[in-house]
Order: sequence, then structure tokens, then C-alpha cells
Amino acid sequence: MLLVRDSMTREVITLSPQTTAAEALGLCRERRIRHLPVVEGGRLVGVVSDRDLRSAAPALGDPGRASALERIRISEVMTSEVVTASPDDPIDEAANRMRERRIGCLPVVESGELAGIITSSDVMEALVHLVGAHEPGSRLEVVIPDRPGTLAGVAGIFGILGINIVSAVAGPRRELSPGESSEGRVAVFRVDTIDPSEAVDLLGRAGYSVLWPPQT
Amino acid sequence: MSGSAAIVHDLELEAYGFGGDHPFNPLRIRLTLELCEALGLLEGYPFVAWEPATDEDLTTVHTLAYVRMVQQASRGGGELWDLMHYGLGTGDNPIFPEMHQACARVVGAVLETCRRVMRGEADHAMCFSGGLHHAMRSKASGFCVYNDAGVAIARLKEEYPGLRVAYVDTDAHHGDGVQWMFYDDPEVLTVSMHESGRYLFPGTGGAEERGRNGGIGYSVNVPLEPYTDDGSWISCFEAVVPEVLRAFEPDLILSQNGCDGHVLDPLTHLAATTRLYEHVPSRIHELAHELCEGRWVATGGGGYDIWRVVPRAWTTLWAAVSHQELPERVPEDWLAARGGDSPVQLPRLMRDDPADYPSAERIAEIADRNSRTTEQVLEKVLPLIR
Repeated sequence: MLLVRDSMTREVITLSPQTTAAEALGLCRERRIRHLPVVEGGRLVGVVSDRDLRSAAPALGDPGRASALERIRISEVMTSEVVTASPDDPIDEAANRMRERRIGCLPVVESGELAGIITSSDVMEALVHLVGAHEPGSRLEVVIPDRPGTLAGVAGIFGILGINIVSAVAGPRRELSPGESSEGRVAVFRVDTIDPSEAVDLLGRAGYSVLWPPQT
Repeated sequence: MSGSAAIVHDLELEAYGFGGDHPFNPLRIRLTLELCEALGLLEGYPFVAWEPATDEDLTTVHTLAYVRMVQQASRGGGELWDLMHYGLGTGDNPIFPEMHQACARVVGAVLETCRRVMRGEADHAMCFSGGLHHAMRSKASGFCVYNDAGVAIARLKEEYPGLRVAYVDTDAHHGDGVQWMFYDDPEVLTVSMHESGRYLFPGTGGAEERGRNGGIGYSVNVPLEPYTDDGSWISCFEAVVPEVLRAFEPDLILSQNGCDGHVLDPLTHLAATTRLYEHVPSRIHELAHELCEGRWVATGGGGYDIWRVVPRAWTTLWAAVSHQELPERVPEDWLAARGGDSPVQLPRLMRDDPADYPSAERIAEIADRNSRTTEQVLEKVLPLIR
């Protein structure tokens, strides 16, 4: 779970280095995509985005634009040093790579061949599934002291009450600088109950601070 | 405006409940009926008799495997892990003896309520026990085992081919079960106004949920901010419900009248008062006469302040369904009979005094966000409804 292979698109639309910019832009519009890997002889040789294509030709409205787009070959505008992912990379690693390089996609390469592509929208979709947003549940935010056994303590309370956990995500309360240690973590639970009040009450009595729902 | 009204009920319907101190307590229905009776609102309205839903009725929207599992659980059978897979035996939906029978009676009652109206035997009809809108195809959820509205709509569609049903749900929780059952269906318009699912169960019901395939545009969701009060809620209702219903032109309106958006309700974070629960039925009543010759079926739904809120809110609903004046005062007889049992002070007036419930500090911002949601919903769905 949460690997690149679980979220990537396998049917990739690719270009050859000889494709024209006009043709590539047409594909972007038609298929509603923004990133196209470039393949030659089965091997990935580059990647091109709709932005690369647009900015390669004279500006919109310029009479020379159409003919320039027809003339420009992908090999002239593509990025040849491609940042890629492997199908077995954790998705968070792929997300971090895209974030650090400020790019919107990673072609996925397996045994030297293009196996798929993962984009920032795929990562967002994985996040939606991760928090279980499509399944019925109530959301609870609980502060978890940063020591062993505290998450299990919270989960145990749900267990005693017969409440199933749809999803659980825990992390530092705020973004930390490297090396800094957190003063506590927040766990966000989606639990399959319409009435979390008893759980909130028990959590409070067990010494956990509940950020949501508000206690009356 | 007039028309004849019917109420479907009997004592056996009050067997649908989970016992102990579970928040879904059928006592709320007893209290409501006693209040209606003390006010004289039930005179001339004998309870209508009916049959429980059959397996064939239930499987119009539920899987046979699920129905069998509920029946097994009802008899005390089934492995806990299998049951839990179907949402049974959890904290929300604990198993109780004869739960299948109890819930099949609720579904049968709502089905009969609808059929009365469709046959023209009543213009409007009401069943307090209905409104189990969270029940899913194969899963009990949020205190709901079988989906009464789902079964009733599916059955009526078979009995009256081409029938167009508008389902209007003003419970504080998203009407997810009913929505998903008809998500592809352009003949069933589901409209749900509820507290935003950002925190509240079931978490769905965002404005972007609009239906799918042929049914796109026929699921309408208006998620409201926590702490929304009467003023903002009513103006969102007025902006959306009449418009989408007029565009849809229903043959029947089925309303789910959960009253758990009241400020005193322990399960939600909305801030409505009885003003909302008087406004909504009276407007649905008018729309039923305007659009579908008065054909309107009303059910209950959520409502967990069973002493101060539910009896008054649903008595008000019944008064609208049956065209009776709502008296001002809660009758002394009822207060005397029930006041001693109540853990809280019972209100003496049928309508809340708004001065008792000041608005949240951020109310202007809340109202503003709600009205933006409303505009966005209308803009996206109205062009799709035909």
C-alpha cells in the first residue's frame, strides 16, 4: 500500500523525439494531460510538459506561432535529464521528490523500461483514499503524547466501545525543522460511528486532549 | 391550502431501538405522540394499519446476503466478525432481538405511507418512525439497519413506471444511504442539507457530489458550516429547495425531517431552533401543492434531544402535514405526566424564544460561507436538471 505502483497511471501516452510541438500540444488538449514522456526504442529519453511546449514558440497571437509549433521537434524542447520513480518507491518519497524539484510528474521506470507515470493529482487522490474520505465516519483529532503506547491507548478506547477505525493518520502538530523534536503529535481518526461522544468522554478521562469535536 | 392527511403508526414500531442508554431511543416517538394527543392533534386521525416489508421489498435496494445476515443476527446467530462486516454488532448498531422484524415493520410502514398518498387516499401522510437514511445496500450504518425511503422509492418506481420522486432531507447528517442508492437515477432527485462532513458523520455530502452517469445533477448537497443558525439555514433552504424542485417537477415529495440540527442536540454542531422545524414542513407543504397536487410523505429521522426538542419539532411537523394550527403552549397534562421522567427542564412553549439562543460570534462569516456554497451548488446543478 502507498507505493508508486498503486497510484500510477499505466497506460501512458508517449511521444517520440521527432514528434512536432503542434502535435504534442494537440494530444495534451485532447487527452487533458499536462506531462508526456518521450520514448525512443522502448527507452525513456526525456519528458516534456505543455508549458515547455507553449513557451518554446512565439507568444500567443504572434503570427509566427503556428508555423513555429509545426517546425519545433520534441527533441529540441524536452528535458533529457529525467527525474524518475520506481514502482516500489513509497508514494511519500515520490511526492517529496516532485516537491523539491518543483515538478508535476515522475515517469515510472522498471528494468530500464517505462512502466507508467505518476503526477501530483495521483498523489492527491492517494491522500483522499488514505484518510478514507469516501467511507462513512466521524472525524476526531486527538493530541498524542510523544511516547510509546499512546496511540495504542487511543485505539484501545475505540476498540472497547466497538467503534471501527476507518483511517488513522498521526504526525507532528506543526512542521518541524530537521533535528527538532516534537512536543506532541496529533492523530486524526476517521471512526465509523455517528456518535463519538462516549469515545471523546473516555479519551478525556484517560488524559488525552481532544481537539475536535468540541466538548460540551 | 388543504387536503386530507394520514398517520401510520402502532406500538410495535416503537420496538425499533437499540436499548440501554443508546442515543437512538424510541421513547422520543412515544413522547411525540403523547404531546400530539395532549394537544388534540390526533383526533380524527386513526392510525393506519399495514404489513411489514417482505424480503422482496427489502432486496429492491439491499443485498439478499445482508438481509439474511440481519435475520440471523435477529435470532442471536452469526459470528461477530461476519456481523461486523455488515455493520452489525458495532457501538452504533448493536444487535437486539427481533431487529429484522422491527426494522422490516418500519420499512413496511413508510411504504404504506407512500402508497396511501399515491393511491389518492390522503394528500399528505406521515410516519414518525421512518427516516433511516444511513442504511447502505449491504451495511447497517449510523443507527439505520434498513433504508425505508430507499425501499419505498424503489417499490413505487416499479408500481408507477416513470414516477419522479423528490427526496428532501433536512437531517443534520448527510442522507448518504438514500443518495448512493439513486446516485445514477435521473428520476429520483435527492436533496440533502446537513452539517458539513468535514468533521461530522458520515463525512460525505460535499457540494461536489452531484450524481453520476445519467443521474448527474440529480443529487444535490448543501453542506452547512458548524454553528449555522435558523436565519442562514432558512435562507439556504429558500435559495435551493424551491428552485431545484421546480426544475425537477416531481410527482411525489418524500421528506426526511430529522431534527438533530437543533442547538440542543448532543450529536451535532448546528444551532437551529424550532423556527427551522416549523419553516421547513410549511414550505415543503406549499411546494407539494404547487408541484405535485399535494402529494407529500413526511418521515422522522435523527433527533437526540428526546425531551426538549423531538416532541415539539415533530408535533409541529404533524400539524403541518394535517393542516392544524400549532398551539402556543405545551399542555400542562403532558408536562405533568412526563416532567418527572425528564432529566432536563421541559420547555413550556411550543416555539423556542430566539433570545434564549444567541448566535455564534462568527455568525456573519458562517452565513457568508453558506450562501457561497448555495450559489455554487445552484450554478452547477440547475442546468443539469430537466
